[in-house]
Order: sequence, then C-alpha cells, then structure tokens
Amino acid sequence: MAGSELLGKETSVLVDSVSLTYQSKTSSPSGGLLSGLRRGSRTQVQAVKDVSFSVSRGEFVGLVGRNGSGKSSLLRVIAGVEPATSGTVYARSTPTLIGISAALIGEMTGAENITLGCLAMGMSPEQVEDARPGIEELAGLGDAIQRPMNSYSSGMGARLRFAISRAAHPEILLVDEALSTGDAAFSDRSRRAMNDALDDAGTIFLVSHAAQTIEELCSRAIWLEQGRLVMDGSAEEVARKYRWFAHVLAEGDEEKALGLLNDAYAENRRQYD
Amino acid sequence: MRNDEVSTETERRASPAGPWDDSALAEREPFRDLIAAGELKAVGTRPSIGAYIRDIWRRRHFLWFDARSRVLTKNSKHRLGTFWLVGKPILDAAFFYVIFGLVLQVDRGIDNYPGYVIVGVLMFRLTTGALGQSANLIHSNRSMIRAFSFPRASLAISMSLRELLTAGPIIVAVFVMLMIIPPHEFPSLSWLLVFPLILLQSLINLGVVFIVSRLAVSLPDISFGVGFFSRILMYGSGVIFPIERILAHHPAAYVVITNNPLFILLSMYRSLLLDHTVPSWDQWLTVALWGLGLTVVGFLFFWRSEERYGRE
Repeated sequence: MAGSELLGKETSVLVDSVSLTYQSKTSSPSGGLLSGLRRGSRTQVQAVKDVSFSVSRGEFVGLVGRNGSGKSSLLRVIAGVEPATSGTVYARSTPTLIGISAALIGEMTGAENITLGCLAMGMSPEQVEDARPGIEELAGLGDAIQRPMNSYSSGMGARLRFAISRAAHPEILLVDEALSTGDAAFSDRSRRAMNDALDDAGTIFLVSHAAQTIEELCSRAIWLEQGRLVMDGSAEEVARKYRWFAHVLAEGDEEKALGLLNDAYAENRRQYD
Repeated sequence: MRNDEVSTETERRASPAGPWDDSALAEREPFRDLIAAGELKAVGTRPSIGAYIRDIWRRRHFLWFDARSRVLTKNSKHRLGTFWLVGKPILDAAFFYVIFGLVLQVDRGIDNYPGYVIVGVLMFRLTTGALGQSANLIHSNRSMIRAFSFPRASLAISMSLRELLTAGPIIVAVFVMLMIIPPHEFPSLSWLLVFPLILLQSLINLGVVFIVSRLAVSLPDISFGVGFFSRILMYGSGVIFPIERILAHHPAAYVVITNNPLFILLSMYRSLLLDHTVPSWDQWLTVALWGLGLTVVGFLFFWRSEERYGRE
C-alpha cells in the first residue's frame, strides 16, 4: 500500500494492546455486613480487551457498539483520565475529552464556567477573553449564559462544555455522545465545529451506539463488542454490518447475531492475511 | 523472531491495525521511531515532578479564579449571600461567649476566658474546615477532572486558597468580638503578626489536604474517620480549655499535646491577641517546619498517584 512512510509521520494516536479491568463489588443481599472486606466478593469486569489500532491526522473515527461494549471506557483511556490496566496509549498531544455530564461547577454561571474551564486548560486570562465570543456563539445559549449552570438542561450543559473544550483548539478531540443531547440547531453548529477541528489537522473520536450518527459524520469506524475490537474499517462498511447485527439481535435471534459477529471479525482479520 | 516480517508489517500498518497482531505496536516501525523522537507521548502517565510544578504554575490564574469564585458563590442560595462569610463566624463566637462567659461563668484560671474560647474555636476552624472538605475533594470535583486535563494538585491548592480567603472574614469577627466582649482587648501592634501566622497555618492545611485527599481515593471510608479525628484534635489542641494543665501530670501525653502543631498555633494566636506579646522564635520555627514538611511530603504523596484521580 502507498505512503506508509507518510502515514507514520501523520500518526496522531496509537492504541497499543490496551486492556482495562474494573474491580467491582458484587453485592449479594445475603452477603453480610462486612462482605466488602472479603477479597472473594469482588469480581473483575473486563471493559476493554487487548485493543490495538493507530489513527492518523485528519481521521474522524467513530467508536460504535452496544451499551456496555466498552466504547466509552476505551475513550476515557485514550483521554488519559482512566489508566489502562495493561497496554499504553500514545498521542501527539493531550487529547481533550467531552463527556455528557452537564455541570462543571453548578453554582457558577455559564460565563464563569467558561472562564474556569479555559483557565483549567491552561489559557491565560487574555486568551480567555479573546476566546469568549466564539465559545458563547458556538454554545448558543443566549441570555442563559448569565444563569447558574445547575439551571441548565443536560443538552445545554453539553453544548457549553463542547464549546469550551473546542476553544483550546485541541488537536485530538474525544466526543462521548455529546451530539445526541443537543437539538437540531446545535448539532448543525457542532458538526461544523468538528469539521473545523478536522481542518486544524486534528483527529476526532466520536462514541455512539447509533450507526446512523457514525455513518453520517465519521470517515472510519471501530466496532467494539464486549470490550473486543470486532471490526475496523470505513464508516459505511462498519455501520452497515453493525446495524444488521443490532437489528438481528433486537429481533431476539441471538444465534444468528453471534454468527454475524464472528463473520465480521473473521472478515476483518482476513484482509490482513 | 519476527525480524524477517518487519517489512510486511510496515506495509500492513498502512491499514488500521487489529487485535490479532501479537507483538506490541510500540516496538514496531514507524511507531518505535516516533515514540523515541518524542513525537508520540504516552497518555495519562504521571509527569516528572518538575514538569508537574511548571504545569501548576502555568495555571495560577485558574487556582485564583477557582478559589475566589467558589468562596463568593458558596452562599449564593442564601438570601443574605456573602454576608454569611462574616456573619457566621460572628454568630459562632457570640454563641461561645454566651455559653462560657454568661451562662457557665467559668474562667478555668484564665484571665480572659471568653477571648480564649473565641480565638480557639474560630482559628481552629480554619484547619478543620480544610480537613473536612479534603476527604471529598477528588469525588466532588470529578466532573472537572473528567472534562479537563490539568494537574490535579491544583484542586487541593485551590481549596486551601479558598480556606485562606475565608480566614479574612473570620479574623475580622475575632477582632470585633475581642473588642466588644469584656474584658475588652484593644488592637496592638502584635495583632498584625496574626496575618503571617495565618499563612503558616494555611501551609499546614495544604499539606493535610494533599495527604487526606490522596488517602480518600484509595479508602473512601476515611471521610468518617476525618470527623472523629477533628474532634480528637479539638480536645488535643486546647481549643476550649487548657488541656496542657489537665495533662501536666502525664508526661507522655503532655509531650504529644504540646508538640501538636495546632496546639502551638492556638497558643501563639492567644499570646498575640490576648497577651499582646510576640511568641518566641522557636514556636515560629516549629510551626513553619511543620507547614513545610507536611506540604512537601503531602505534595509528593499526591503527585505519585496523579494518574489515578480520574478513575470511576
């Protein structure tokens, strides 16, 4: 294949054999008062299992999978907020994660949260004031920007947070289903903002369980199921296979769904052999 | 053993890699070179202590803005708002005066017992206030931690700064009450030395916040212990009665109590405010060493787990 040299130079994120295991307590009702102290009562949940891939500049990667497939966990590992149990993520610059929880500091107004967020990202007070009009425009909250953030709806909060994170022009932007919480006008604006981000020679990861979102926005998609990478390829191809799988599963035909899953996995491998 | 395959592997890299590659990607071309050249850096690892401190310094505006605006918005849901920054310490001090000065009328052999209690209770609160919030520090800021990458020690510093800002109204309340309540104390030059002493107390608080907030990440149950510990500290530091006189006949306990930094701090505040004398230099030195020691040890302890604070 052409341009492996160029491709190496353009690598912006490298996910190298990443696994993530949570220790979680199984709470059995008959467990007794001190069951939390016993080691045996903890189970290990493997959220991400040995996932590897590399992403280049200018790629818009969708992470798709069912609820609990490990896509959000993987995103947090890439963001560096959750350390991988094994394996390493390498990146060209610090990735910026945009999550769904609404408030930063709920008692403060939206405008104050803009200042706080920008300063936390390491901007100087002058840079914050320069960035403020752009953030307020992208968030599109109008007068609500002067209200305390705990009066916001979750969609409004997500919009503000997205706008703040975008202000630092991060090269690597990680979006966790923030889009689906915005209304139509905002998702238009945020799509444009994401395209701008790509133009900044950036890389974007978007997590969604909706194949349609991935297909419309992304250039590449990675399908995760139970923490494993099932398929990695063009967004249309992966979205098509995933949608079929989800459809069959919704109809209750688990055996057939498993078959599709294995086919996709095998086919994905085959293209490298 | 895979050496002969390197060239084909490199070509494969032109397509996305997959989980079936059984050797680590980072060891292969072109990634090995990119990592060695520092172009690709491991994400979420703890920075060196020097880089960490520089990172915090770069965020000094964040520390200040965070501390200031949280102090101002803390009472925003109350009608009288920021009045409570001064109002609450004055009410507290008045309460202790009514109980100990008017109702019980005890003096425990102290000239100005109401003054003794007011200074003890209000200045002690600067430390317990920081201690009480520190067990919950990482948990209550998790949305900030998940949203932005910044040195997490900033949160501990900003919280200590916040406590330092609320010390302003508290010290005003102490001054006012000492002047109003009989036997009236009036300002002297020694009162000015209260301010550097507050700075030293804040340094001690900062060290404690680093240590407790770090411990609470491994053991959330510690938040129950903190309240209990505060109470022990209250009796062990001579906040409302002179514990050192009671324990004078127990040499071991006496040594522990009188070397407790909070005990030393409170007796220094009292000699400045009530006796109008400057404490001896070795008391200043002891308190400063406690502050520096706790802060340095606490900071290193906190930094060593930097990558863990975002965990769910």
